[in-house]
Amino acid sequence: MVTMAIAKQTLEDMLRRKILLILLIVALGMIALGPSVGFLSPRESSVVLRSMGLAVILIAGLLITILSGIQVIPTEVERRTIYTVLSKPVQRYEFVLGKFLGGIFTVFVMIAAMGIVFLGVLAWQERHFAPDMLKGVLLTFFQMMLLGAMAIFFSTFATPVVNFFLSFSLFIVGNMSAVTESLTSNKNPVTRILASIVHFLIPNFGNFNIQNKLIHPEVTISNETVFIVQNIVYAIIYSAVLLILAILVFDRREV
Amino acid sequence: MSPSTRKNLIIAIVPLMIAVVFLQSLLDPQLKQIRGAQRTPLVGLSNEFILGPLLGLQQAVAGLLWIRADEFFHEGDYDAILPIVRMVTWLDPHQLDVYITGAWHLSYNFTDSSERSDRRYIPAAMKLLEEGDANNPTVYDIAFEAGWQSIDKIKNYEQAEDWFRKASLRKAADEAGRVTKSPPMFVRHQLAHALARQGRIDESLAVWKQCLTESEEKVKENPNDSSVRNVRDSQRHNYLLNLKRKFSRYTHEIDWPVDRARTQSVNEQTGEPTPRDAYLMTDQKEVTSRANAFRRAGEPVPPMGVGQPRPPATRPLWDTAFDTQKGGTTTVTFPSAKVLDIKGQMAVGDGARVTIRLQDEKWREPKLKDFTFSVDRSVTLMQDQHSVRNYTWGRKIDMSKDPKMYSFSGEYYFLILEFNPRQTSPFIQDRFGWSGEGITDKKYLITIPPMREGQPPLRMIRKVYRLSRAQIMGSQPVTEKDVVPNADFDRFQRELQQTASR
Amino acid sequence: MAAAISIKGLTKKYLDVWNKTEITAVDNLNLEVEEGEVFGFLGRNGAGKTTTIKMLLGLIFPTEGEASVLGKPLGDIEAKAQVSYLPENPYFYDNMSGWDVLDFYGRLFRIGEPERSKRIQKVLEDVRLDPKAWKRPLRGYSKGMMQRIGIAQALINDPKLLFLDEPTSGLDPIAHAELRDIIVNVGKQGKTVFLSSHQLPDVEMVCSRVSIIHRGKLLAMGPISELTAGEKVEIQAEGIQNGVLEKLQSLTGAVEQSQGRIRIPATDADKVSDVIDIVRGAKGKIISVIPHKRTLEEVFVDTVLKAGGD
Repeated sequence: MVTMAIAKQTLEDMLRRKILLILLIVALGMIALGPSVGFLSPRESSVVLRSMGLAVILIAGLLITILSGIQVIPTEVERRTIYTVLSKPVQRYEFVLGKFLGGIFTVFVMIAAMGIVFLGVLAWQERHFAPDMLKGVLLTFFQMMLLGAMAIFFSTFATPVVNFFLSFSLFIVGNMSAVTESLTSNKNPVTRILASIVHFLIPNFGNFNIQNKLIHPEVTISNETVFIVQNIVYAIIYSAVLLILAILVFDRREV
Repeated sequence: MSPSTRKNLIIAIVPLMIAVVFLQSLLDPQLKQIRGAQRTPLVGLSNEFILGPLLGLQQAVAGLLWIRADEFFHEGDYDAILPIVRMVTWLDPHQLDVYITGAWHLSYNFTDSSERSDRRYIPAAMKLLEEGDANNPTVYDIAFEAGWQSIDKIKNYEQAEDWFRKASLRKAADEAGRVTKSPPMFVRHQLAHALARQGRIDESLAVWKQCLTESEEKVKENPNDSSVRNVRDSQRHNYLLNLKRKFSRYTHEIDWPVDRARTQSVNEQTGEPTPRDAYLMTDQKEVTSRANAFRRAGEPVPPMGVGQPRPPATRPLWDTAFDTQKGGTTTVTFPSAKVLDIKGQMAVGDGARVTIRLQDEKWREPKLKDFTFSVDRSVTLMQDQHSVRNYTWGRKIDMSKDPKMYSFSGEYYFLILEFNPRQTSPFIQDRFGWSGEGITDKKYLITIPPMREGQPPLRMIRKVYRLSRAQIMGSQPVTEKDVVPNADFDRFQRELQQTASR
Repeated sequence: MAAAISIKGLTKKYLDVWNKTEITAVDNLNLEVEEGEVFGFLGRNGAGKTTTIKMLLGLIFPTEGEASVLGKPLGDIEAKAQVSYLPENPYFYDNMSGWDVLDFYGRLFRIGEPERSKRIQKVLEDVRLDPKAWKRPLRGYSKGMMQRIGIAQALINDPKLLFLDEPTSGLDPIAHAELRDIIVNVGKQGKTVFLSSHQLPDVEMVCSRVSIIHRGKLLAMGPISELTAGEKVEIQAEGIQNGVLEKLQSLTGAVEQSQGRIRIPATDADKVSDVIDIVRGAKGKIISVIPHKRTLEEVFVDTVLKAGGD
């Protein structure tokens, strides 16, 4: 109850943030305007429309997640509302979880809004419904959940500015899974070990990039459902680890 | 939080991280499948295009770039497109249209001021398609395009056959985006054409027949679908047309009792009045004896029309009389620097096309290891065609306006004049066979041995001049002394090939 | 009566990262607050008042020492359920209405419906917030209204113990007076109030017992009546022979002399008879002996100055 109360309050607070709303509106506009670009062939139009739509959702989702993730806890400290909250019978882990859930609800609402508009635009443009794209939107959401958990963890000890660069650069490193994966079989043992550490221990954001499969029908994969489920489980477990770390740090933190 | 709770939480991280590593090891092979093609490393890309890929946005960045390329197309800024093609295919190796458009653009859009293609780009175009096909090995699209370029631009029908065969075994994407469908039938139509162009008529007919059988089934399933019927009708037309062409030119090979009934039915279906057709002649003996006469003389058996004679087909052998008709000859002059004025005579029907090719003496088709869109600017390679009208042909080719394409930086050049029956129109082919079986020429006939099983040897006309730069600049005349005997030219080419491969 | 707050040797040291020196914000503090008391916690800005309260609420952790709140260790959730806190210059989620803010805090106290709505209604009435403002967003609230919401959120759980940190700072005189009345009322309801302030007249009016903290150290503690006791007396005399003046000076400190009269502005009450003896022994005449009762402010200033404050 306490966790959900904090989550609800955070969601309502975040949904009133002008910067997040502007991001959402710009993203929705870009998705809606996608079909106005002209192309050489219908197939190109379809490829570009899909890749752009998913990309806009990813970029907007990324900014929304990082901006809310780095802010939810520091804002409470800065506004000193944290004193009135933590002086109440609220466990610190409840506070961290509530803030995380509130931030993730925000991201979910915004990604869902973009996803619905995106599917609508596709359906209008191509005259048939493309539910496959939902898989991309779903994985983007879980990717953002993991990123959000990471930003929350960093926010328990880093300032928002440091956190922004930290989260952003780890998102990039985590997206280079193709590179790190290939380096894990490098001849140089030092490279191999370092690459393995990066590949297996840093949140692997590249895991969620299913766009290629969704955009290009000729790309095949053994079992798509298994892939998506494994990814979601990965995101949930890794988020849990990050939240445990966040709770451990925040529990000792003086506010 | 009590110390014991803290300790338990810290301990809980260990199994969770083990689960994370385990999941990662499950995900990696699947991610490899999704990434598919091995991407060339991101070298030579500007910063704004690097950040996107790092965020997992390769497809989107590629899409944005391609929109830009589209603008360049409309502006006619072709040079700007090639690097973009390269970048897009680097970023997203699954954009089929980018390979296809890029290759088409390389092969067709670079021209001199008289719209002659810059054929130096063709190897690059084919290499791009090869790369694209290797990156997308489940779909037919790129292989088909490679086949099309081979048949249409390069006129290498064996190569075209290979690509179309490859494409016909692939799959196509359906509307829901799943790669499940068989490729469209036009892939096999082109395969049949490529086989016919090689003179492998029976194999070509077999492909048509197979397509026709499948289409008949489809028509039965969807009797009201006009598009299915149209495909079936055009297949039937092509099948019967080829059958007829075969019968009219290769009568001596016909097993009469069987084929007579078949021919009858062919004529009924095509609506052509039966008595007018050559192969309805019943005088099997005459045909057989004439064929045997050729065999005895050790000469190839020409296709023989029998029965109602058609004017050109009356001649059992066709002397193309390349450049000796009525005492005339091919005249090559350079009225001014880099302006080739060429005239010739040839005893074939109107519409036969003579290929005119001017190339560096040491030029050979480069074997590209990797795709590159830069060409060797020092290479001169000009190719044109001219149709024969009323036994003569000729053309003035001005190469002085395009120094980028025709640098003439070498010392010696070959001017190659060719007439290849396989490349010519059906109505010309019908007079002496798909592979030139019925043509003769006193000076310039060459026979190219079969390159494939089931393929007849190719008899074609080739006359080669070896020209110096001074001659091309117009300061020295070109005479018959400059003509290189075909045997010498072939040997030179073989040596060139060996030197290159060493 | 049991102790609502019991502090033993509580110490908080910060490491100043810039100078790498240790700052002692609270230094070996010992304190007990009885249940039902309105306890004044006095000190200048930066004396360590807020630090102490934050430690008692479990927001920060003591370096040394121990303390209990309502008999429970610091940060205990059960204790917190019966405690409330009004921070200095509080800020609440300003996009929410007064009602919604209280609803949120009510949820944090795990108060279910319909009890929660009843409580909100009651505390909003108790703090005399204009009902028209209840459903309006906080960003339209005045400082005084905001402070009422602050008190309201501190009352929502019907606490046994309230920590009020500078509750009246920055308010206009009327709001100030009203808020003071509210606190007095709270005290009358038998709740323990731990009032941190430097508004000495307020403290004097509402508190039964006070402590004075300076630079993290407890300087004085006791009922106000005790602290302000120990009256000073002003004595005037005339006709005093020379030579006695030094004697008086050494006894009382400052002695003023003019036109044959002497004035001793303030001396401790227990020295009055000695002074009179000296004056009489020197054939002098006492003109007046006027006792002065000290204010809390004087006690505070004296105490702090004695401790070396500036």
